[in-house]
Amino acid sequence: MSDTVDAEDLALLATGFEAAMAEETRPAETDQALFDLGWAELLSAAPSQGAATAFRALGTTNSAAGLLDDVVANALGIGISPQTCVVFPAPHQAEAPAHPQGDAMVVDGLVSARAEGATTAVLAVEANGDVSINSIDAGLLQGPVAGGVDPGRAYRRLSVEIPADALVPVPTSGSWESAVAAARTALAHQLLGGARWMLAEARQHAVDRAQFGRPVASFQAIRHKLAESLVQIEGAASVAEACLDDPDPLLAALAKSLAGQAAATTATHAQQVLAGIGFTAEHQFHYWLKRMLVVDTLFGSASSLPAEIGHHLLSRGTVPRLIQL
Amino acid sequence: MDPETFRRDLGAWLDDNANELAPPYEGAGSMDEQMAHYSHVKRSLYDAGFGRYGWPESVDGLGGSPLLRAMVGEEINLRGLCDPNPWTMIEVLVPTVIGFARPEVAAALVPPFLRGDEMWCQGFSEPDAGSDLASLSCRAAKTDGGWLVSGQKIWTSFIQYAQRCVLLTRTGEPNSAHRGITALLVDVDSPGITYSPIETMHGRLDFAEVHYDEVFVPTERLIGEENGGWQVAMDILPYERSTTFWHRGALLHRRLSDLVAQLVANGDRSDTAARALGHAFQSLVAFRSRSRDTQHRLADGQQLGVETSIDKILITSAEQQLFGAVRDLLGGVVEFDDDIDAAMWRTDYLYSKAAPIYGGTAEIQRNIVARRLLDLGPES
Repeated sequence: MSDTVDAEDLALLATGFEAAMAEETRPAETDQALFDLGWAELLSAAPSQGAATAFRALGTTNSAAGLLDDVVANALGIGISPQTCVVFPAPHQAEAPAHPQGDAMVVDGLVSARAEGATTAVLAVEANGDVSINSIDAGLLQGPVAGGVDPGRAYRRLSVEIPADALVPVPTSGSWESAVAAARTALAHQLLGGARWMLAEARQHAVDRAQFGRPVASFQAIRHKLAESLVQIEGAASVAEACLDDPDPLLAALAKSLAGQAAATTATHAQQVLAGIGFTAEHQFHYWLKRMLVVDTLFGSASSLPAEIGHHLLSRGTVPRLIQL
Repeated sequence: MDPETFRRDLGAWLDDNANELAPPYEGAGSMDEQMAHYSHVKRSLYDAGFGRYGWPESVDGLGGSPLLRAMVGEEINLRGLCDPNPWTMIEVLVPTVIGFARPEVAAALVPPFLRGDEMWCQGFSEPDAGSDLASLSCRAAKTDGGWLVSGQKIWTSFIQYAQRCVLLTRTGEPNSAHRGITALLVDVDSPGITYSPIETMHGRLDFAEVHYDEVFVPTERLIGEENGGWQVAMDILPYERSTTFWHRGALLHRRLSDLVAQLVANGDRSDTAARALGHAFQSLVAFRSRSRDTQHRLADGQQLGVETSIDKILITSAEQQLFGAVRDLLGGVVEFDDDIDAAMWRTDYLYSKAAPIYGGTAEIQRNIVARRLLDLGPES
């Protein structure tokens, strides 16, 4: 593995990233601040560890920074910059987002907030079962500013046709499959960072909030919801950590699926424990919930991935023994 | 011994001796057949040396990391050479016995267990002390040279095959809770011990109800301190939730592979099947990854504790998802069929219903997570 950043440096960077993300700036400014802190160098020196560190912070802070663009580009072997964005697959999918139709290229995917200010976009095209990586003028991707569930507008849906001759093939050193795996691992860490934040908020509320003359944390129904959330988070986190030592795409799919499931379970339980203020805008919880809904759909979701994984098992006819002592 | 070399050598040896180690019976076999085969496999591994690694030399082991024991149990279960329950009794009981019993007692009594010549059992639960273990009442009264034990235990596994029992007794006042419990290592053939089997819902005589009537236990069979039995019990539980679960996870892996093979043979490549398999596999991988971390903490000499409740909850989910998928996807096999494969699926399906009950119920585990890991304060 090329992951050669020591733990102390990583911890320092994590603190810096989190502080930069926590400042309420526009995503483009956050992106620039993270590049200034050494995000590109970290990703190059330690792609998986570096991404995990940054994406945990994304989950904790709920920042809309466009780091997924960098993780995918870097995995493909393309140089990264705050002006380069990537077109991601359509919701719940991991297939390349574009395919040719006559002289046009039909694009159905997602882009991050970075696409608004980017100059160049990376576009994966699937034709006859092969994926090619291309660059296009990011101006071709402009569309209505995102609506959708997420007020932070971290990602928006993109559905455009562009002329095929606008594409310039880009040399790559990594496969689309490896880019999907890198994205899934990073997103698993983001989902778990968010889930831990939601659990911490719900836990604190349960301890502070008194009803019937005692903290609601003393009721077993509440305790078991929070316990179940922690169990799912820890199970998923262990797999997401294992991905840092093993780039197996199947393991990354499992990590993303488990993290999505853990985040969804935690969101449901945390909201129930927060109760009234979990449904109103009095608590910030809803921002994390909405971001979780969006991030879950990226590169395959907790609802789509189990079938993908199961079909993989059925076609190989055996179950690989992942995770060795 | 380097773990990688050990794994390779062990795999090669198991391959070379596959016929010799395979169960001589079809399907699950009877309890008698199963226990005889357990002894045979255990003895073979002892003689080949593999069964002695990971145990200290003081009890006739060959030393080395506990990871080596985890690997042996994993391979045995992946290959289906032996039922996991008798296989892992030594993992549950002996690390704590080595840590807390008198060294000369451990040195004398553990080696026959390690060789497969003996089986041990665990006398914890009582009719009125299941989840509330600290309320147990089986009494040990001081007498010349030891204790006289009188009372009742229940759901004691394998006592009909066992020579020793790790027994929790009440030595303090009846209401002394966890403060007045003492652990003893008792010979099952001691006068005054009688037992009758309890049939499980999967049709096995795994358990027994055990009566102790003034059973003499000599002083040197004390495990830990007098009235220090709670500490002994709390030391055992994390072992039960570490190496033992790692072994059981390997069995689940083999059965998931069997399910995939069966679905492929049935020509079932439906989305329904794929989704259920995906859920079962991801639950199993979550458990396996967590349990791997636990094995490494154990091997690094860290004290395992309440965090192993998470492992217990994860393996319970994995087991129930897997055998739930079996029932859903195999179209009536669990409910109606009587061939050997079906009987094995039915056994495993029914046994999976025990997962949230044994070794601390699902609710007790969540109580522990809430109190000790989430720090939610006392329950109302």
